Order: sequence, then C-alpha cells, then structure tokens
Amino acid sequence: MAKVGVYVCHCGSNIAGVIDVEAVRAFAETLPEVAVARKDLFMCSDSGQEMVKKDIRDGLVDRVVVAACTPRTHEPIFRAAVEKAGLNKYLFEMANIRDQGSWVHSHDHEGATEKAKKVVASAVGKARNLEPLEDTFVPVTDAALVIGGGIAGINASLALANMGHKTYLVEKEPSIGGVMAQLDKTFPSNDCSACILTPMMVEVHSHPNIEILAYSEVEDVSGYIGNFQVKIRQKQSYVDWSKCTGCGDCTQKCPGKAPDAFNCNMSNRRAAYIMFPQAVPKKAVVDIEHCLNCAGREIGTQPKINEKTGRPILAPCERACTAEAINRSIAFDPQGAIKEIEVGAIIVATGFQVMEKDWFKEMAPASPNVVTALQMERIISATGPTEGKLLRPSDGEKPHTITFVSCMGSRDEHFHNYCSRVCCMYMIKQARLIKEKYPDIAINMHFIDVRAGGKGYNEYYINARELGINFFRGKVGGMELLPGEKLRVLAYDGDTASNIEYESDLVVLATAIELPKDANVLAQKLGLQFCGSNFFRELHPKLGPVETAIEGVFLAGCCQGPKDIPNTVSQAKAAAAAASAPLSQGKVRIEAVISEVHPEVCSGCGICIPLCPYHAINMTTYADRPRAQIEMSACKGCGVCTSACPSGAIVLHGYEEAQIFAQIEALTA
Amino acid sequence: MIIDQKKIDEAIDTIIAHGGEYIRECVQCGACSAVCPGVRAGFPLLCRNLIRHLLNGQLEEIIEDSSSWGCQACSRCTEVCPQGVRPQEVVFAFRRYQANQLAFSTSSVTSQMNLFETGHAVYVDPKEARKKVGLPETTPTSAFDEQAKQEIQTLINNSPMGQLGLF
Repeated sequence: MAKVGVYVCHCGSNIAGVIDVEAVRAFAETLPEVAVARKDLFMCSDSGQEMVKKDIRDGLVDRVVVAACTPRTHEPIFRAAVEKAGLNKYLFEMANIRDQGSWVHSHDHEGATEKAKKVVASAVGKARNLEPLEDTFVPVTDAALVIGGGIAGINASLALANMGHKTYLVEKEPSIGGVMAQLDKTFPSNDCSACILTPMMVEVHSHPNIEILAYSEVEDVSGYIGNFQVKIRQKQSYVDWSKCTGCGDCTQKCPGKAPDAFNCNMSNRRAAYIMFPQAVPKKAVVDIEHCLNCAGREIGTQPKINEKTGRPILAPCERACTAEAINRSIAFDPQGAIKEIEVGAIIVATGFQVMEKDWFKEMAPASPNVVTALQMERIISATGPTEGKLLRPSDGEKPHTITFVSCMGSRDEHFHNYCSRVCCMYMIKQARLIKEKYPDIAINMHFIDVRAGGKGYNEYYINARELGINFFRGKVGGMELLPGEKLRVLAYDGDTASNIEYESDLVVLATAIELPKDANVLAQKLGLQFCGSNFFRELHPKLGPVETAIEGVFLAGCCQGPKDIPNTVSQAKAAAAAASAPLSQGKVRIEAVISEVHPEVCSGCGICIPLCPYHAINMTTYADRPRAQIEMSACKGCGVCTSACPSGAIVLHGYEEAQIFAQIEALTA
Repeated sequence: MIIDQKKIDEAIDTIIAHGGEYIRECVQCGACSAVCPGVRAGFPLLCRNLIRHLLNGQLEEIIEDSSSWGCQACSRCTEVCPQGVRPQEVVFAFRRYQANQLAFSTSSVTSQMNLFETGHAVYVDPKEARKKVGLPETTPTSAFDEQAKQEIQTLINNSPMGQLGLF
C-alpha cells in the first residue's frame, strides 16, 4: 500500500483568499492511502520543501501530492526536492488549485473549495498508482547552426564560436550584415553603422570555429535536440567563389542592370554584382535573371571563335576576371548544391522586413518624394544612391522642408497592433543627422507619442528638440500630391487641438517592422510557432525569451519581435548561451514521461506514424513482423499516439491507464 | 476639470447607446482631426477633441456646442483611424444625444427643417443658377416632387425625429 503525503499551499492569499485551505487539508486526510496531510503558507519556500523532505526521510510518505499552482513552473522544483530526499522524482503529482481553482473561481469561495477537494482527490488517486521512472541521456553533436547573418546572427555565432563550438552561419544573401549594413548611423550614440558592424563581420569570417554559408538557405531539418540533420541549399552564384577575390572588375564591365535591393531599389546595380562595398564574404554573384548573356555566352555553352585571331570570344565579365573565377562554359546547376550538416542546436535569427510604402494609399505613395525610413537611411548613407548627399528623389534638388510620419502600419488595427519599437528613435536619429548637417532645413516630426524608453534614448530625444527640430503630437492623416512633386501634409496638433497644413518637399514614412514573408516556410521546416503579433513564439514571454517549444531551437533578434540593436545583441548572446548548454554538456536528458510501444501487442497498422507531431515514430521488425517503434529522444510525451492506438499497445509513462482511471474515479465519486 | 468616474461611465454609455460603440478604443492620435474638413473649417469639438471631452466625462458641459453639426459625414476620419474607433459614428452618436435633449444649434434646426420641407438637409433655391447655365430650372429630386416630399415627411413623422416636435 502506498503512503501518500498531501501538502496544500496557501500561496499567500492567492489560494487561501478564495479556498478554505484547512478544509481541503482535512478532506485529504480522509482519502485512502493518505498517510499525512499538511499545509503551508508557501509550499515552494525552503521551509515548505523541507516539510516534504522530512516526511520522506522519516519514512512517513513514499508518494507526494502538492496542491498548489501550475506544474509548468513548479513541478521541476518539487521533483527536485523529492529526489533530494531520496525518492524517485516521478513519484510526485501536482494538483493545480490556483490557476484552475482560486484564480478562475475568485467569486465562488465555496465552489472553489469543493473543486479543490476533487482535484486533490484525483491527484491522490493518480499518486497511489505512480511508478518510479528513470530519465535517459543521448549524446550531442558539438556544433551549432545559426540561421540569418544580421547583427543577431553575427553576435550569436561569435558567442558560440568563442565558447569553442563549431558554428555554421547560414545567410540567404551573398553577404552577411543584414539590415544593419544598410543603416547610416545608429542611435543613441550616432556611431556609423558600418564602422561598428564591419569589424564584427570580418571577425566572423576569420574565426576558426565559424563557417559562413552565404547565399544559402535551409532546405530541410530533421532530428531533435543534440542531433539535428540539416540540409542547406547553396544557391548558384555562377562564380567560382574559391577563386573570386572580390576585386569587383566584373561588376564594372557587366552591362546588365537590375534594381539594387541593397539601396531599396532606388538605384541600379549590375547583373554581375557584389552586394555592397564592405561585403563579407566579398564575392561576386551573377544574377542570371538580369544577365544579358553577352557575346551569346549562355551558361554551359562553348564560346564562338574569333576567325581572325582564332581566340574564343568571351563575355565582358569573363574577360574582366583576372582570377579566372568566371567561366561561362561550365554547365552550372541552376539549383546550386546541397550541403548536409549535423548540429546539436539551432539559433533562428532571420530578422525582419519593413512594410513597403504602397500599403498606405492616403500618403501619396506614388510620389518619389514619399520614402520609407529605410530608403531614407540609404539616401543619407555615404554608400547610398546619392553618396550621402541629401537630395530629393524626384529632381535631385535639396529639400527645404522634411516631414517624418510615425506609426505607419504599427499600432494600427488594419495592419499591426503592436508598436515597432524602433521607429520613434530612428526618425529622431535621421532628423538629427540632417539637422546637424543642414541647419537650414525645416524638419517637422509627427508622432502619436514619442517612445524613447531605452538607455540614453530620452536624452537623445531632448537633444533633438534643442537642435530646433519641430515635434507635433498627432498622427498625420494624409498627404496630397501638389504640382512640382510637393506634398501637402494634413496633420494635427493634439496639444492645441488644431489642424496643421503645410507643404513639404520630402516625406519619410516610418513603416512597420514585420516578419519576412518567407519566414513561414522556415517555420514549417523547424516546427516553429507564431505569436499573436505574427512573430516567432518564444517559450515564455518573460522566463523563456530565447527558447522555443522545440528543444534545441532558439530565437534571437527581430524574428521574435521588433527590437533595437542593443536588445538584439543581448538576445543573440543569451540565445548563444542557451544553445551552448547542451553542446557543452555533451549529452541531453530525455525525460521519462514519453511513450513506448509494446511490440507484442502492436498490430503494425501504422496509424500512429502520421499522427506524431514530432516525427518520432517509425516502423521496425519485431518477431518477423512490422511494428511501430518510438524514437525516445524525439518523443515529447504528448500522448497523441497513445490515445489513437486501436490495439492499446502504446503506453505513455506517467499517464498510464490505471493512473488515469484512478483520477476519473476520484473526480466522478 | 474634476475627473469623476460616474460621469465618465455615463458619458461613454450614452455615446455607445447612441451608436458610437468603439469610443473606448481611441488612443487620441489625432489622425481623424488631421483630415477632418470640419476641424479645418474651425469647429473645435469634432473627432479627437470631441472624443477626449467625452472620455473625460464632459457630456453635459459640451451639450450646447454646435461643432458636431459641422460634420459633413465624409467618413475620412473612419478611413484613417488606426484603432477602428469610427469617429464619425461617435460624432453622430453625440448629435443624437444632443437632439434627444433638444439641444440643437440653430444651424441644425435649419437643416432639419430643410430636410422635412425639401428632402435636402442643405437646400439652396437652384432655379436662378440653373437657368443661367442653361439647365432645366427644377431638379429631378424630392425638392420638386410632391409625392417624394410627402413620403419623406411621413418617414420623418414616424421616426424619433418626428417626436422632437420641430415640424
């Protein structure tokens, strides 16, 4: 016979304010096989845990039920206490009388008390039938994959590599750097973005533990924590990167043109291009869609021969390349190549995109003088389309009045309800950079309110006021396009409750940060979930900000939610630390609450295989017959297979039939 | 101004009961007022400022204000509102409250009378102007159609408007 100890928690007034704790305790004493029933103000406190441990050591109890809060946060604490006292940690059961009791029935003290009694009786019923279980361990591949080479991925990779772990950094563009590489200067210290980013990019490139896989995308992921198998597609660059020196000669000679995405499509680049001057790796790519196939040199064909000289006629890019990295006679596979790697942990740092201006019809998006803030970054950047000169796109003239419009698509129920968090600050930054350089330009900034919550941010904002930048509390309602490509701004000053109307030469829209469109595809491959704001969902908004529901997969940067560079770097380093834990241990613990197939009962029907959300079940042979088998390191103990098995051949340890029936019996008594 | 929760609740409940059901969503960004032709024309208590006063519980204090009758029902406020407040509905709800309390501005009485008599809230005798540009003197609308006028008057007499005793 079991000796069950029941411990009822007051949780201060959280439980005791609604539920009669003494009545629940006294009721528990009357239940079969209950040896002791006690109560405490805070069961999770040292004294509460000590009470449980003492009863175990004294031989009074060999099963423990704590009636308190949620197992999600507190089960590990009590299991550890039980284990310390020498009892198997799976001989513990939790009754949730707070989240599912006092909190939801706060207006019905009597009903809540009665419900608590039932919940405790159910837990005791299960506890009487509990059996000891043992955790197992699986070995870990000491390598990590970081997806995305922006400032988040760069920092995560460097942190992991410096801890001694082999790190693969996958970047879909030809160069790492991400959006930060497009920025001119960064708030609140006005450092030049490239000046602080480029050295880190070079460090990543030269780090012995980091392998950059640029111009590559994750094709497929399988496996589980400690043992992920990842297929990576290295896109076709049509340039032999092992020979390319990044000299840029091919980009000078190439006559093919395409919109330059790095400059937000405000200028053209060549079809043979290097992404930007500080690119890492600095390698050329031939954009085959915009390639003109000069001299009839289609990829994979032999060159024509010049009749006079007898020499082959090559395309300009080939002729320009002294490193012989471009050879159009090679029959390149347009699909590129697949590289397979094994890693123990994955950090997703895929970043964000900003909304395009075309979404905002009331803001005259057709005018070239209405630009997104990211376009403005390129306009004021020394490497941008105007080489840093502030010229308005329509006619290349210097603007006299510039308008900044906040919250375009953020805090707007038509688009995104969330605040994009960085817009107020980057608008102020752009305004300051312009005002410092051109004090004669009038700058009007329109905000719902100024959000300057980071370290040093409010000081930065006040300084902008001191510089003579005009701030208005009120959202811009619309723009009217006037002759001469000017814009009439229809705004409002909430403080004086009067409308504002003036003509502006250049309008900057602070468009919202959102998850890139292709993030869905990656989410499917990894099994990532989305949060209400449609970013990747972390395990817990406060206590698990870099973990995900998939063990061994972590998040960093804006793919988890909008954030500035300081927060992104912090989160990247945190994700690296979290990912390093299993890699440094060399093994991961597999909890015992997982499913197991009894092969002698299994009929081999295979119903369970497609149902398993973790792809943990496969077919094996047992006594010459096909049988289901569960890979225990991949099983998460969700129980779907157990409930679906028509033969009752699958047992979920910790939720066995006898235990569940005992619970039902207690609840229906 | 004294903030009194009872007055706030009363003001908001009144507006919601009269059709301004999303007034609580307002974050006072002012986009509505930025595009409002009434605000541009100088009516002080429209859109953002009207909603602010109502959210402060200042319902009775502003009952005599005539701004709400400056609303042209263009709906631009509702189009630009990022919170789905539908400010025009709030303005109309306030108008209905004013009307029920018989707190009309003279400008509104004129337009109500116009509506009753001609079917047009804003009515200017068109004959002279139309003649000048060579159009038929009368318009093919209720203003010159006895049967249509009677139908409109029947409708008004049988609606809450009819109970106001204006006609």
